Amino acid sequence: MKRRGWIDALFIFPCAFAFIMVIIVPFGLGIYYAMTDWNGVNPIVNWVGLSNFQGMFSEPQFIYSFLITLMYTAINVVFVNIVGFGLALLVTGKLRLRNIYRAGFFVPNLIGGIVLGYIWQFIFNNVQVDMGNALGIAFLQKSLISRPDTVIWAMSVVNTWQYAGYIMMIYVASIQSIPGSVMEAASVDGANFSQRVRRILIPMMASAFTITLFLTLTNSFKQFDLNFTLTNGGPAMRFMAKPIRASQLLAMDIYRTANQQNLMAQAQAKAVIFFIVLVIFSLTQVYLNKRKELEA
Amino acid sequence: MRKLLSLALVAVLALSVLALPASANEKVNFSVFQLKVEIDPMIQAFGKLYNEKHPDVNVTVETLGGGADYGGALKAKLTADQMPTIFMIEGQGGYDLWKDFIADMSDADWVKDTDLAFYDPDGKAVGFPIAMEGFGLGYNAEILEKAGVDPATLTTFSATKAAIEKIAGMKEELGLDAVVSVGTSVAGGLWWVTSQHVFNAFYAGYQDYNDSSVYDALRRGEVDQERLTAFANYLKLLYDNADPNVLENGNYDAQVAAFASGKAAFITQGNWIDPNLAQLEATFPMGYVSHNFLEEESTGLYMAAPSWFVVNKQASPEQQKAAIDFLNYMALSEDGANYMVAEAGMVPAFKSVKLQPEGPFSKALVEASARGGNFNWYFGQNPDGFNQGTLGPIFELLATGTVEDFVADVTAAFQEIANK
Repeated sequence: MKRRGWIDALFIFPCAFAFIMVIIVPFGLGIYYAMTDWNGVNPIVNWVGLSNFQGMFSEPQFIYSFLITLMYTAINVVFVNIVGFGLALLVTGKLRLRNIYRAGFFVPNLIGGIVLGYIWQFIFNNVQVDMGNALGIAFLQKSLISRPDTVIWAMSVVNTWQYAGYIMMIYVASIQSIPGSVMEAASVDGANFSQRVRRILIPMMASAFTITLFLTLTNSFKQFDLNFTLTNGGPAMRFMAKPIRASQLLAMDIYRTANQQNLMAQAQAKAVIFFIVLVIFSLTQVYLNKRKELEA
Repeated sequence: MRKLLSLALVAVLALSVLALPASANEKVNFSVFQLKVEIDPMIQAFGKLYNEKHPDVNVTVETLGGGADYGGALKAKLTADQMPTIFMIEGQGGYDLWKDFIADMSDADWVKDTDLAFYDPDGKAVGFPIAMEGFGLGYNAEILEKAGVDPATLTTFSATKAAIEKIAGMKEELGLDAVVSVGTSVAGGLWWVTSQHVFNAFYAGYQDYNDSSVYDALRRGEVDQERLTAFANYLKLLYDNADPNVLENGNYDAQVAAFASGKAAFITQGNWIDPNLAQLEATFPMGYVSHNFLEEESTGLYMAAPSWFVVNKQASPEQQKAAIDFLNYMALSEDGANYMVAEAGMVPAFKSVKLQPEGPFSKALVEASARGGNFNWYFGQNPDGFNQGTLGPIFELLATGTVEDFVADVTAAFQEIANK
């Protein structure tokens, strides 16, 4: 059977068509709209060049959202990976019910971000406050998501709860691919548990780390659904002498600019910056991780 | 032979795509998208009734409200090419944004029956008033009686302050969690309670119904500092006597439930909570007093049409006609009057409707309307997104911040939009 070029093209066509229409075309249109003054509804659109990009860096809310997203990403990547790795070690050890634990730890990941947000909102606003009142612990008496200084940590707790199971699975797969003989030889040679983990396990899992760090980095940076349902931008606070929302991450800031303030073009400009920053971060991270993989 | 068969099957599959449903469906389909979540079951029932009585049209009603983002959803519908035939605007801000989609209804029958239609800058009637709504500081008459406070005396700032402080001192014996049920959080979706409604007392209070001088000055960037400071002190008084959890985290249900269950003596909500109160079986007598932030005597309430139905001018002519017929039916027929007043408990905006609403707060409004001396609503004229995006966080900050910061922030916010 002869393979003709157009048959290949035809097979790829549906997938390529969807990709182009849903990703490439809106991307191009987005860059175009970022340089206009469109408000989302008006059929008349005027070209304004790069002025949208200049404006956003003097907006207190945008600067704050940017910084808080970086901070949230840093906290979240650390938390999720430590918890995920810890659970993976636990679950590949000699625990009796470890298969049940594996399934159990994974279940929170199946709950969608929206439902998760509402459930945890209830836990923070009602359960935590009632507990604080009953036990008289002042720290707990005010909901953690209504204080500007703790709201990001609270969000990270919820995201860790959701995501750690998923990350754990990746680590478990990686740990199980390491031949048992290597670990046995090491313990015969007198290495204790922490030495085995640090010197043997982790270097051999370098490729898993590339994946998990990439996933957690991009997931945290792009966080929206949890942000929206848990805190909706969160408590108000002052920053650079203006009242802003304390837990409004970048994705939500873009959404708000587009929908509430009807500044579609500015929101699009912010989205372009968002894209560029995320690409730089993830490419850097993957590059560094790949180098580590090769060294191992 | 096999090849012929498979080719034939492919052809059948391809041709089936072309088999469009024959237009046995002569009905005109149109849709309504509205944001009053408390009347959703009633308007759905009215839509069904209308479909039964008018077999040549089919109306679908969709509701999104409470704390959710109606404006955002409407924009999403536009982008998805699913713009509804009838949708709602809440004032000048909404009109300015959507004016390319708003049809002129000056010739419709309902226009002559109401004073509360929304007019565009050329004087054409474009908005169908949903109802007449209003609010003030709602009180639980039973609790006030037990505390020895006579609501008729609450007409000045010092009277209201003294009453609140007296009740605060008696919280335990009255079984209250807090004196006032206020919510203002961005997270709980209650920014509109304070930054739109209670703040409206600042725009409109102590003036004639049609006198908009304070609001006009505000939009020019001139903010009356004394008046604003007095208002801020009043609002801070309400905040300080509210349940911090409801204030900072609570949502609509939490705020209404606190009042309905007798855990709060006052509530900052409007007559639209009557259906919710009925559901929560709150049967105690209740009423409204003014938001008294000055020493001048005031008994007026704040009432107007809160939102208007507008018809999409870019829908097909049959859909637009069907929509206008639907609105006429709602305003002028017995079924419509029954739906608006008896079932949804709204205060009618149309003079020909003789029914009166049953809900306690609605009755208070009707009384106040007859009495006169009430105040208009101006927050709908703010630019789209200003109340939620800019004022919302400022009002939330007052709960943990100072009156001076609040006054400075509000002044700065209005000066920013005055310069545009």
